[in-house]
Amino acid sequence: MARSGLLAVIILVFSLQQPALGEVRDPAALNVSISEFDPGIPEDRSLHRDLQIFPRIRVVEAKFLPFVLRDMLVDSGEWGAVRVVTEPDPAAEVQINGSIIRSDGERLEIRVRATDATGREWFDQVFASSLVQVEQAGDTDAESGRPEVYEEIAESLRAARDGLDDRLLLRIIETSLLRYAVELAPSAFGEYLGENEDGTFSIRRLPARDDPMLDRIERIRLTEYVITDSVDAKFRELYEEIVSTYALWREYRRKSLEYDRQNARRADETRSDAPRGSYEAIKNLYDNYKWDRVTSQEQDRLAIAFNNEVGPVVEAMEVRIAELEGWVDAKYAEWHRLLEELFEVESELNRGTAANP
Amino acid sequence: MLGLAIAACTPARPVIDEEMMRIDGAMPADFSGSWERDYSRGDDVNQVLRDIYYYLSRTSADRAYTTRPGPVQPSSKDMASIRALARLAELITRPQVMTISQNDHEITVERKDDFSLLCAFYDGIAKGTESGYGTEICGWDGDQLVSHLILPDGLQVTHRFTVSEDRQQLRVVTTVASSTARVPFTLQRFYNRFERLPPDFNCIETLSMKRVCSTGEIEL
Repeated sequence: MARSGLLAVIILVFSLQQPALGEVRDPAALNVSISEFDPGIPEDRSLHRDLQIFPRIRVVEAKFLPFVLRDMLVDSGEWGAVRVVTEPDPAAEVQINGSIIRSDGERLEIRVRATDATGREWFDQVFASSLVQVEQAGDTDAESGRPEVYEEIAESLRAARDGLDDRLLLRIIETSLLRYAVELAPSAFGEYLGENEDGTFSIRRLPARDDPMLDRIERIRLTEYVITDSVDAKFRELYEEIVSTYALWREYRRKSLEYDRQNARRADETRSDAPRGSYEAIKNLYDNYKWDRVTSQEQDRLAIAFNNEVGPVVEAMEVRIAELEGWVDAKYAEWHRLLEELFEVESELNRGTAANP
Repeated sequence: MLGLAIAACTPARPVIDEEMMRIDGAMPADFSGSWERDYSRGDDVNQVLRDIYYYLSRTSADRAYTTRPGPVQPSSKDMASIRALARLAELITRPQVMTISQNDHEITVERKDDFSLLCAFYDGIAKGTESGYGTEICGWDGDQLVSHLILPDGLQVTHRFTVSEDRQQLRVVTTVASSTARVPFTLQRFYNRFERLPPDFNCIETLSMKRVCSTGEIEL
C-alpha cells in the first residue's frame, strides 16, 4: 500500500506539464556548460604581490569572465543552451573549464579545456590577448569586456565541433543523457554505458525511445535545467552589476602599468650625472624606489576600493546560488532515492507479469 | 648616539639576519595607532653632524701621516658624503604624522609624502619586497621592529621602531648608510600617540564613486 501510494505520488510529480520531449534537435547545437574559472591564485600568499595577483579580484573574475564567453557563444547562435555553472557538470554535452593565468589591465591569459559528454577532449590550450591593443583598435568596448581571446575560444570550439559528423554529435547528446541517467538511477541505466580505459564513455545499448524511466530522467533533467538557468541568471546579474566597475578596474590597472613604465623612464632620465654619493645621487636612488612603491601601493588601494564596491554584490550572489544549489542537491538525493525505488517496484511488477501472463 | 652610528657601520653582522625574520606566534609588539612627532625630543641634525665631524677628525687615516698632535680635519670628501646622508635622513624623517596599522601578519607604516613601509609575515616568515629599484626587508630585534631598505650603490636606509610599555610613545631610529661614506648617519625621532576624533561619517573608497560617506551604514 505504502509502495503504491509512493508510486502514485511519483507518477503525479512526473506527469506535470513539461516541455515536449524528444523534439528533433539540430545535433550541432550542443548545450554548453561553462563552469566558474579557476582563479589561478597560488596557495603561497607571499607570491601574490610578486605576481601582481589581487586574490579577491581574481575570485570575482573567475565568476565574471565565464559569463563573457557565455554571451559570445549565445550571440553566435550556433549553440544550444549555454549556461554558466558553479561546478563542472560531468554529464554536460560540452563542458568548458578555464583557469586564469594572467589578468591585468594589459593582458588576459586563460587556459581553457573543452570536453564533450563522451569524454573526448576537444582542446586544452592557453588563449591570450593584449587588452590594450584590442581596446585601442576599437575591436571591443571596455564595457563589454570582450577582448579577442573570447573570439578565439569560440572559434576553437566551433572548429572542434565542425570536425565531428552528425552521427558523433548525436552520440554526444545520447551519452550526455545516459551519463545523467546513470548518475541518477544507476540500477536502471548502469548497463547502458561503459567507461573505457582512456576515460571515454561508450554506449553499450540504448534504452527504448518510450522507456518510461528515461522519460522521467529527461523530465528531471529539465527541472534541474530550470534551476541551472536560475544560477546562470545570477551570473548574469553579477555581470550586469559589476561590468562597469570591472572596466574601471581594468582601466586603473592599465594606468598603473603605464605608471610603472613612467617610473622606469623617469629613473632612466633622471639618472644623475651628480658624483656618486652626493645628495642628488642618493636622493635619486631613494626616489626611484619610492615612486615604484607608491604606484604599487596605489594599486593595492584601488583593489580594496574595487572589493568594497563589488564585494556585497558577490556575497549576495553566492548566498542565493548556495540556496539554489542546496535545493538541487536535496532534490537530487530525493530523486535518486525515488527513481531507484521506482525501478525496483517496476522490476517486481514486470517479473510478476512475466510469471503470471 | 654616536656609538649607535659607529656600531651600525661595522660590517660583521647584517642589519637583519634570518633569525630576526621569523616570528613564532603573535607579533612581539603592537605599534598600531596614530603617532605625532614630538619636536621637543629627538636629534638635532647639526649636532649629529658635529659629533660625526669630531669622530672622523679623531679617527681619520690622515692622522697617521701627521706629526701634529690632536685632531685632524676630516677630508672634504668625507664630510660631503656625510652631509648628503644627513640631508636624506632629514628628508626621510620629516613626516609629522605616521599611521601604523597592524594585524596578525602585517604591519603598515603610512607616512605623508612617502611610500608606506610594509612588514608582512607569511607563515611566520617575513617576506621582503623586491623591485628593480631596491629591496625592502623587515624583522624583529626583540621588541624592536626593524625595516631595512637596500638600494643600489650601497645605499641603505634602516628604521628601528620601539614602542614604550604604555604604548604612548614611539621612538624611530633612522640610519642612512652608503658605501661612499665612512660612517652612517643616524637620527632619532620621537612620536606621541594621539587619538583621531571619531569621524562624523562612515566612509569607504570605491572605484566608480570614489569616496562614499554616510552618517549611517553605507549601502552601495
